[in-house]
Amino acid sequence: MRTAMLAAIGLALGACHEIPQDAPKPYAGKEDTKAYAGDNFKGDRAAFEKALTARAQAQNEYIRMPIDHDSH
Amino acid sequence: MARMKFICDAERCIECNGCTTACKNEHEIPWGVNRRRLVTVNDGVPGERSISVACMHCSDAPCMAVCPVDCFYRTEDQIVLHDKDLCIGCGYCFYACPFGAPQYPQAGAFGLRGKMDKCTFCAGGPEENHSVEEFRKYGRNRIAEGKLPACAEMCSTKALLAGDAAVITTIYKTRVVTRGKGDQIWGWAMAYGGSDNLKDLPGGGA
Repeated sequence: MRTAMLAAIGLALGACHEIPQDAPKPYAGKEDTKAYAGDNFKGDRAAFEKALTARAQAQNEYIRMPIDHDSH
Repeated sequence: MARMKFICDAERCIECNGCTTACKNEHEIPWGVNRRRLVTVNDGVPGERSISVACMHCSDAPCMAVCPVDCFYRTEDQIVLHDKDLCIGCGYCFYACPFGAPQYPQAGAFGLRGKMDKCTFCAGGPEENHSVEEFRKYGRNRIAEGKLPACAEMCSTKALLAGDAAVITTIYKTRVVTRGKGDQIWGWAMAYGGSDNLKDLPGGGA
């Protein structure tokens, strides 16, 4: 009786598991050229990343002057 | 390896639409397609907030998961792009996207949908970099020139930040810590528990 009960619970809960549906799918399109492959960086990934980081820091106006936390 | 993202600072956005205009101009986007647009919450009410919305280049992108022809891919910098030669304009990605990023040009007189168009983080698409074909299908490739998206670089108040997540989150954090709101962030303790005092939080004194 107890075994049958456990088996029934097992079967009932078996339906609760989630099948992963977001497994990475293969890309079926054309291969893209690397962003740093052109004339600008000539395949130098480090130089490319450095340029983008420098560019991103141009969005930070706080580096233009020292920050005084105590004044706030 | 970089992980390219956008952050929009709602405290700074002044709803000028400079980002949408920059995007339209940079890529010569046709009428009816809006890769980037502004959403204003409580418009006209004191305390209204605006944010600039486009493809967020999700780390676990639902558009990629639902595409029946698998036309989406991710670049080395985690930018989500797609191949227009493969896209069938079915609209599944539009239903899946929580930001309404996928756009469809009207292809005919009877409301026929063209191939999906969306923000490319100014990284072009799967064509030769800076080629005529790339510009025609995906717009300009600023990333290959070592530049960031035009919308963020054009933003007058720097509300919209673009770049490597590690870099722009540091910029944003510096802002939040520095700008004059006293030491209190409204809702922090309610949302996360603990102290409302920013200086008590990890890295709060940065």
